[in-house]
Amino acid sequence: MDSSTPSESPFCGLTNRSSSFFKLVDTFALEIGELKKEMVQTAPALDKDPVELEGLQGGAYLQPPHCSGLVGEWDSGYDSLRRRMSVLDRLTETHQVWLLLAVSEDEASSILLKQPPGVFLVRKSAVLQKKVLSVRLDEDHSESPISHFNIRESQYAFSIEGSGISFADLFHLVAFYCVSRDILPFTLKLPEAISSAKTQKELEEVAQLGAGFWDSALCSRRRASPAVCRRLSRTLGPQQAKRTGDVEESRQRHLGVHSDSAPPTLQPHTPPPSSFQDSSRSIAAPLCFVNPLFLQTHPRSPQVHRPPQSEPEKAADSEQLSSEPDVDQTKLNCKARPSPPPRPPPPRSMPSRRPAPPPPGPPAPISRTKSMPVPVAPRQQTSTRRPAPAPPTVGTRTSSPTKSTTSPNRPPPRPKQPDLEALRCHIALDDETIARALSRANLPSCQPAPATEEPSQNLTESLPESGERGRQRLSDMSISTSSSDSLEYSRSPGFSLDLAPSPSQHPAEDSSEDDEDVEEDDEDYGVGMEADLESRLRPILKARRRRVGVSLGGGSFVLPRSLKGRFSKVGGMFSSLMTPEKRAVKRIAELSRDKSSYFGSLVQNYISFVQENRSCHTSGMDFLQTVRQFMTQMKAYLRQSSELDPPLESLIPEDQIDRVLEKAMHKCVLKPLKSDIEVILHDFQVNSGALQQLRENLALAKNKKPQELGVDGAVPPDSMAIEKIRQKFLNMRKMYSPDQKVSLLLRVCKLIYTIMQDNSGRMYGADDFLPMLTYVVAQCDMPQLDTEVQYMMELLDPTLLQGEGGYYLTSAYGAMALIKNFQEEQAAQILSSEARNTLHQWHRRRTAQRSVPSVDDFQNFLRVALQEVGSGCTAKTLQVQPYSTAEEVCSLCAFKFKVPDPENYALFLITEDMSQQLAPDTHPQQIKAELHSRPLAQVFHFVYRKVDNLNLCSQADISNGNCLQVE
Amino acid sequence: MAIRELKVCLLGDTGVGKSSIVCRFVQDHFDHNISPTIGASFLTKTVPCGNELHKFLIWDTAGQERFHSLAPMYYRGSAAAVIVYDITKLDSFQTLKKWVKELKEHGPEDIVVAIAGNKNDLGDIREVPMKEAKEFAESIAAIFIETSARNAVNVEELFQKISKQIPPLQNAEVESNDSFKLTRQPNPTTRRCC
Repeated sequence: MDSSTPSESPFCGLTNRSSSFFKLVDTFALEIGELKKEMVQTAPALDKDPVELEGLQGGAYLQPPHCSGLVGEWDSGYDSLRRRMSVLDRLTETHQVWLLLAVSEDEASSILLKQPPGVFLVRKSAVLQKKVLSVRLDEDHSESPISHFNIRESQYAFSIEGSGISFADLFHLVAFYCVSRDILPFTLKLPEAISSAKTQKELEEVAQLGAGFWDSALCSRRRASPAVCRRLSRTLGPQQAKRTGDVEESRQRHLGVHSDSAPPTLQPHTPPPSSFQDSSRSIAAPLCFVNPLFLQTHPRSPQVHRPPQSEPEKAADSEQLSSEPDVDQTKLNCKARPSPPPRPPPPRSMPSRRPAPPPPGPPAPISRTKSMPVPVAPRQQTSTRRPAPAPPTVGTRTSSPTKSTTSPNRPPPRPKQPDLEALRCHIALDDETIARALSRANLPSCQPAPATEEPSQNLTESLPESGERGRQRLSDMSISTSSSDSLEYSRSPGFSLDLAPSPSQHPAEDSSEDDEDVEEDDEDYGVGMEADLESRLRPILKARRRRVGVSLGGGSFVLPRSLKGRFSKVGGMFSSLMTPEKRAVKRIAELSRDKSSYFGSLVQNYISFVQENRSCHTSGMDFLQTVRQFMTQMKAYLRQSSELDPPLESLIPEDQIDRVLEKAMHKCVLKPLKSDIEVILHDFQVNSGALQQLRENLALAKNKKPQELGVDGAVPPDSMAIEKIRQKFLNMRKMYSPDQKVSLLLRVCKLIYTIMQDNSGRMYGADDFLPMLTYVVAQCDMPQLDTEVQYMMELLDPTLLQGEGGYYLTSAYGAMALIKNFQEEQAAQILSSEARNTLHQWHRRRTAQRSVPSVDDFQNFLRVALQEVGSGCTAKTLQVQPYSTAEEVCSLCAFKFKVPDPENYALFLITEDMSQQLAPDTHPQQIKAELHSRPLAQVFHFVYRKVDNLNLCSQADISNGNCLQVE
Repeated sequence: MAIRELKVCLLGDTGVGKSSIVCRFVQDHFDHNISPTIGASFLTKTVPCGNELHKFLIWDTAGQERFHSLAPMYYRGSAAAVIVYDITKLDSFQTLKKWVKELKEHGPEDIVVAIAGNKNDLGDIREVPMKEAKEFAESIAAIFIETSARNAVNVEELFQKISKQIPPLQNAEVESNDSFKLTRQPNPTTRRCC
């Protein structure tokens, strides 16, 4: 897509399909952005203080070097996206510098003392066990020159204590405070080197310094910001111009809404029922969530032309979320500047329309210009809210030094898909927007108008175009969408349950198919901003379709439009809340597939080890326990390692990290291994004769009456119910996640209970339930259930084993055990010893987990290739202990590869430029670890091959003196 | 306040009222925060104790003989076990002794054992003298209490006693130790009903 319009003149845009398409997309984005803003905004529209704007510009948004005046300045829009870096991008890229969790308060102070006011860092207080934002204050502050703000983490929300604004992750939080001070004395400032970096590369350089940055020359060096913005003079086609105007107006409106002081801003115009507020307060929950979406989509304010409206000084910055104005900008750009060509180099003329300073504030154009830091060079498209998944476009990023965990799926042709998605979103939102606009009478519908040629026409015509009105409307909207409003909705149980549940919130209630669906959705997350937008919206749409469909869907007017809009907003809130988790999971899953990362190589080696060595375990349980142990170790590794970039702690509240990691492990380990695990378990079952025995006993038990199995009084399920339960069990088999399997099991148990109680109204305890469960399991006649239960029991997160899931799982295990031993006269005895054995195993497992696994634990696998002279290579993953010597590995290889003359073979380490034979007393695992820990990942292989004579030592070895001779 | 999850296992003959006690305990309270559960064989209830909140995860077991062998799976990892007998059935008291023995041999080392003589509203057909039961409990350093699930007598107290006997977390702040004194010896029954 990028290439589609590079050299076209602005006018081309009109005729060119693709560019009009982009415009359309832009419009959508703009609209979405507006909607989002509205949600966030609570205060009446205020103008931003120009001064603040300056600050914002510098930090918040760096404009690309495009000149407004240049016709060719903008191409398809995607390209330009890449060139700009938002504050969020900068923060994300350089978190190594400011996110110093290990730094103490004193250290933080000493770092910051040397910095200008506003410079900050985030550390973790050992005493409070909380993250703390430390900010350098003004010199004249008599008190301490450094101020510390505690960061509160609640479920899926980060906020500064005392503020009512919450963010999905730390990056958004910091980005927000870079553009809006809220409860801080002033906005945060990025160090000059970061805020003025023009290229990705510069940022990378900064990031590489990590904490050392603060002492480096880079830090102290100042750059003059030459930003001189040129007025935008665009040459636009007439139509375009007009449209652009609309857009701008609408943007301006947005600008109006800012709140400097958070609390006030948050107050809805119409005070919500006091009780509501109280409750929210008492819970100490944030008043509102800032939906990251909004942030991203901030419409940049074109308002350049307009002077900021002055209102109270404190402009409500809330919107400012604009940390990610990029999106908007891009989109806007598409519309407004259709001119493609090459962007002019460095002139930093910021087009006023550029995404204005990210902050929604209505920055004065002028001030902006001044403050504008140097335009950034290439910017990545991804202005995804979170740095998380590497932005698709950014090849560079991904390849950045940190091994990117991030390689999100890059959507190949990114433009297209995203656009479509955006389109969809737009369609979904359009109604609301329009309805709102109409209902408010004054609204000029800027939104729909600009982009779409056709659809918009009606709207445009029907709506007044005056900018003033647009403004009014904005403020109206902001009022209506006060945060508390949305809170209210979100809090009402009825609503949250029935109307806008996000898929992730009710996993257990969805059918299994739904669950899978949701899973799949994840795949799209975080890919790019478009996809991002889309993905965030999708849940809303889904939710609406699924649960609200009847009343809300199809444009029906059953509910007032305004209400509808709210629902979707709330839905959006939920969806944005769930994204951090999904993104984190996705990121980890990606990392696990990236063999160049240490984590990825461990996981991949383990997977291939399991696949190739199916018979090395003594029992199914033994095997499952190693899998469980591996997952637990990998979780511990991920918590400690720096491979996840940005660190998980910045994305996920701490109390959620374990759960998220667990989920990620299921995805990266169990998902690929599911079929192998099933085969292995099945083989054990068959080989031990247990399957045969189980079949026979099941057949026997199936013919028993409930009473014979101990059921006393309660009415058993009829055949239809049994069939239903069977279906659930069959669905359970399709899942790889033990959690999801357990949730299905719980549904089965619930069903059994419901049937029992329906027929007698009394509460049944285990005395009645266990026999009934046994009866049901016998009736289902599914021998596979045995391995299912085993799978869940052994692989479920051990911390969940004490809860309800664990209880019913235990009961299911007990029921299976009874049936398995149905024939045995001494069933009790046998069971007892078996159960005790199980018990012992569990105990072992639990204790094993308590000790923190060391890296050694992960290194038990080594992939070795056998290189034969005539044939190519065959590789095997071997289990090699950390301290096994090369000699031992050789003998293992000889055995595994069935080499007849092992004395002639040796183990070699092959890298790109050399191959060296390993001495018998070296430790291959340690060599591997050492290589992995090098900063520059090197490709290397362990090769087991013949040593014919000295010549075999490759020349490189000899010349390097690296050839370690064996014997 | 930190929430500590405590697994509590219910043992005892079928029909002695294990689940009745729990249902009474869980539902009697005006605590409506109880999350809806699947059924009465697994219930939870959170009670404050000193500086902590104790969330009881109560695992009911099937009392029939045929399920006896499954018990280890239920009591493993339990912080406490409540062994219930029916004061009107001597047999159930004999079963109780078997459970005590099994727990001693195979149960978690530091498990808190509580003995509950249920149905004390039926004192006139009592078969197990309270004195005997109490002495037995003292001999094994177990909590002892007679309850009536039907009349909601001593149910709350039963769990309070358990709560107090749960050792505080090792790394718990020192202050929490002040709030209650732990006595390893069983508290004598303080109240008697009927």
